[in-house]
Amino acid sequence: MIVVEVLAWICLVAGSFFSIVGGFGIVRMPEFFSRMHAGGITDTLGAGLVVLGLLFHSDGVLPAIKLLMILFFLLVTSPTACHALAKSALSQGMRPELENDAVKSKATGS
Amino acid sequence: MMHPAMSITAVAILITMSLAMIRAMLGPTVFDRVLALNMFGTKTVLLICLVCFMMDRTDFLDLALLYSLINFIGMVALLRFSQYGGFDAIDASSDEGSTTGGTS
Amino acid sequence: MEIIVIPILALLAVTAVTIARIRNLWAAVMFTGIYSFLSASWMLILDAPDVAFTEAAVGAGIATILMLATLSLVPKNKHKGGGIQNSDFETKRLRGRSVVGSLIVALGTGAMLVYGTLDMPHFGDSHAPIQEYPRPSFVERSQGDMHGLPNVVTAVLASYRGYDTLGETAVIFTAGIAVLLILRRNTDDNDRDANLETTSSNGGGSKPIAVATTSKNSEEAAS
Repeated sequence: MIVVEVLAWICLVAGSFFSIVGGFGIVRMPEFFSRMHAGGITDTLGAGLVVLGLLFHSDGVLPAIKLLMILFFLLVTSPTACHALAKSALSQGMRPELENDAVKSKATGS
Repeated sequence: MMHPAMSITAVAILITMSLAMIRAMLGPTVFDRVLALNMFGTKTVLLICLVCFMMDRTDFLDLALLYSLINFIGMVALLRFSQYGGFDAIDASSDEGSTTGGTS
Repeated sequence: MEIIVIPILALLAVTAVTIARIRNLWAAVMFTGIYSFLSASWMLILDAPDVAFTEAAVGAGIATILMLATLSLVPKNKHKGGGIQNSDFETKRLRGRSVVGSLIVALGTGAMLVYGTLDMPHFGDSHAPIQEYPRPSFVERSQGDMHGLPNVVTAVLASYRGYDTLGETAVIFTAGIAVLLILRRNTDDNDRDANLETTSSNGGGSKPIAVATTSKNSEEAAS
C-alpha cells in the first residue's frame, strides 16, 4: 500500500506547512482583521490536512470513525468561531484599516 | 516509515503553538488574544491526535474530540462575556447590557 | 517522544511566567486556559487519559468561564473608553519588603521538594511500595468481602478506601456551593438594589443585574 503511505506523507507535510504559515501570519500581519484572515483560514486548512493524513495512516475502523468525527467538528466549529470573533469585534467598534484611508489621508495632507 | 513524517508534523505544530503564544502575549486588543487562544486550542487537538498515533494507543482520540468541542464553547463564552459583560444579558431581552469589555 | 516533551514543558514554563507578569486580567484568564490545554497534553503523554479528560473539561472549559463570570461582576470604571483599567487591580507592595526575599523563599522551597523527589522510585517501577502493599490483598479479598462484586476498583473506592471518597465528595460539594454563589442573581434583594441604584455612586457592576431582574420581574408580574 505504498500509494496510501505517500498520500499520508503529502497530507501531513502540507498540513504542517500551512500551520506554520498561519502562525507566521498571525505574528507578522499589521492589524487585527488581517491577522484573523491569516489565522482562521490556515488553521482550518492545516488541521483538515493533518487529520486527513492521519486518517490514511490509521488501521481499524474505530480510529477512522473517530478521526472523521474530529475532522467534521473542526470543519464546522473553526470557521464559526472565527465568524463569531469577527462579528463581536465589529459590533464593539473595531474597524479594519483599509488602504484607501491611508492613501486618502496622504493625498489631502492630513 | 511513518514516524519521520509524524515527528516533522509534531515539530511544526509546536512551532505554531509558540507563534500563537507570542501573539497572545503581544496582542494589543483582547481580540488578538482570543484569536491566538482559538489557534492554540486547534493545534492542541492536532497534537493530541498525533501523540495518540505515535504512542500506538488510538483509544485516546476521544480526548481530541472533547477538546475541539470545549475549545469552541470556551471561545463563544469568552466572546459573549466580552460583548455583554455577564450572564445577565442572555435573559434580559429588552436590555442590551453594558457593552464594555476588556479592550486594552 | 522527547522531541514533543521538552517543547511542551518549555511552553508551560513560559505560560506560567506570563500569567505572573501580565497586567491585564482578561489576558491572564486566557493564559490560564492555555496552561490547562498544555497540561492536558502533558498528562496524555504521561499515559493518564482520565486525568487529561478531567483537566480538559474543568480547566479549559469551566474554570475559564467561571473566572470570566467573576471578572464580569467587578464594577467597571467608565473613563477613557471603558473597560477594566489596570489601576483597579494594582496591589500595593508592602513597604520595606523586597522581591528578592520572596524569590529566595520560593526557590528554597522548590529545591527542597526536588531533593525530596530524588528518593522516590522510578516512574512505573513494579517494586514501588504503592504497587506491593495493598494490591494483592485487595484483589484477592474483594470477591469474598463484597459478596461477589466483580469490580475491584469500585470495591477499593467505596469500601476499602471509603474515607478518601468521603473527603472528595465534601470537596466537590463545597466547590458546587462556591460556583452557585458566584453565578446566582440577587432575586431576593432586587428592591434593595433598586433603592441602592439611585442612592449609591458605585460602579456599574451591580446595575445590569438589578436592571435585568427588575425588568424580568415586572414582565412576570404583568403577565
